[in-house]
Amino acid sequence: MNISVHGPLVEQLLAGQFICAITNEEYFAKLQHDDVREGIDEYLKPLNRRVASNDDNSVYFLAYRDIDDPAREHLKQQLGVVMSSLLPLLEWLTYVQEAMGSDGILTAGDTLKLQELVVKTEDNPSLRQRLQSLASDKFFGSSADSVDAQAKQVAKRLVEHGYLQQPHSSRLYFTVTGKIDYLLELVRFIKDEENIPLDDYQNSQAQTELL
Amino acid sequence: MATYDDDKQHLSSLFEVGAERLKLIGDNAKVLMQGYLTGGIDPAALNERTLRRLINARVLYQPDDSHELKLRHPVTQLVAALVTDESRRAIHADIADKLVAIRGFVEGLREAQRMGDSLRVDNQMLRIDEAVYDLTAQFEEAIYSLWHRLNSNFGFVSNLSDKIRENERAQQQIKRLIDGMSLIDFDELIELAEGNPTLRKILVSRLQQQMSAHHGSLLEVQKRLVELMTRFREQQERSLLVLNMAGFLREHPGFMVGDYSYRTQVPALVNCAAPIMPAAAVVLDKPEQQSDIAQLVHTLYRELALKQKTDTSSVSADALQGSVQSTAAQQAVEARQQQLKEDAMRYFIHVCEAQEPPSALAFLATEELPWPPEVWLFQVLAEYNALPRQEQKLFAITRDERRISVFNHVHIIEDLAVRFKAA
Repeated sequence: MNISVHGPLVEQLLAGQFICAITNEEYFAKLQHDDVREGIDEYLKPLNRRVASNDDNSVYFLAYRDIDDPAREHLKQQLGVVMSSLLPLLEWLTYVQEAMGSDGILTAGDTLKLQELVVKTEDNPSLRQRLQSLASDKFFGSSADSVDAQAKQVAKRLVEHGYLQQPHSSRLYFTVTGKIDYLLELVRFIKDEENIPLDDYQNSQAQTELL
Repeated sequence: MATYDDDKQHLSSLFEVGAERLKLIGDNAKVLMQGYLTGGIDPAALNERTLRRLINARVLYQPDDSHELKLRHPVTQLVAALVTDESRRAIHADIADKLVAIRGFVEGLREAQRMGDSLRVDNQMLRIDEAVYDLTAQFEEAIYSLWHRLNSNFGFVSNLSDKIRENERAQQQIKRLIDGMSLIDFDELIELAEGNPTLRKILVSRLQQQMSAHHGSLLEVQKRLVELMTRFREQQERSLLVLNMAGFLREHPGFMVGDYSYRTQVPALVNCAAPIMPAAAVVLDKPEQQSDIAQLVHTLYRELALKQKTDTSSVSADALQGSVQSTAAQQAVEARQQQLKEDAMRYFIHVCEAQEPPSALAFLATEELPWPPEVWLFQVLAEYNALPRQEQKLFAITRDERRISVFNHVHIIEDLAVRFKAA
């Protein structure tokens, strides 16, 4: 197979991007073919990289082929960064779910209209409070006072981190990428791995709600 | 003839009573609807006589010891069906009873045929037709209600766990409907219709056609309900995961995960490699590429020019902090350029007015302007060249030049002098 036809795709992968059906449909379709992935794997061998995906193959990224010590050190640091940004991300997800009154947490392919979110937040003091506190988290780093500016800053950061995509830079609507699904899979993994008794939290939360 | 008159009388009284009671419902529509929504009606809302009539008409009833009045079940069902209120709509799957009734009517029909009572034959046929219609209509109504629920995504209940419960209920209803369908034994119906083409048409061919269509729809709805249920369950699982993990992290601010990356088997999800930026630079060692590179540089210039244009034109309100700073810097530069231009204009005006016009550099020195001499000379030259032709003719510009080398024709302009030539 001629690898050069996948040049731009390989470049995106190398740059550390997560490729899903939303970020790039064409590349995603290519990556679903075994022979394409094998070709890229072969090509990336000297760089100690290979194509990896999440459990349900909805998002592709590059992993280390051999995990040597520098790789381990990088993975450790990276996990630390993810963990420190986890709470604000999860809080944002529950905030959006509540504000939009939707049945579920945002998932890949969902559309988020920022203006709608802002309007709903402005009308509700408790949502305003929640946005305020999560926007001022150092992960989002907003020092603004207005709901509008806070929501924009949060969205901007989420775009930077690849969780959201903004199809038109002039229009304030966003599409959720497959990286959110990756994040949730990671959360599920951590829950299982660390034996976090999350069911108890449901009960205690139900109790606080009752109080 | 007696039965005919009896029937007629019975029907006409049925008609009158029915019309009267429907009107009664209509007259009290608002109170009844209020009762439907709140679950009870305060007797004080109605006068004594109306109240009694409504109770007699079996529209309202008073549960034993309560003061409140309630709508009877069929009335509630009627309203629910009229406004497609899916949370209240009930589906009857009592097929067995309907089949018994049909069997009874067919026996009556046979009896009438034996006695040669053609009027009763017609009457019984009509009833069979109605009973069969009733039977299929029941499925039709149920299927309509199920599709309605499915298409509205169970929007009539507000939260996900209620939706899951409603979905379960709908699936049970489908099961009962399909069970009910299996009670219809077409072999038996064929036997019943033996020798009567009209009956055969009603009981067998039409019913069979409709039932198989309904059966198909039910299976389709069932499939879709199961799919939707899976989605609901996934959503529920995700919501709980996010909510509970956020709660856990909030209560354990110092929580840190294990050393996944130093395990013998690094978990696949954690193995996400560091980015590598493929960098490249322009090289000039391949002559055959030079024209391409030249092309690139040209497009780059064009793009830069374009970018500069859009940058200046799109100083919009929503520019973020970074670009606000860059706009400020840009504005400072623009202000300096403007100042330089104005100073050059002043020199031209001075030239027109002065008796002994100074050279450009002399003006720069006497006015103590902050510009580097080279920049200043360029500006003066530029101003002169930017003048309209007519005005340019009014000035004479002389360059104080020096040849830099004997080998080429490069001249260096040491100074400029502008003279005003009065017309």
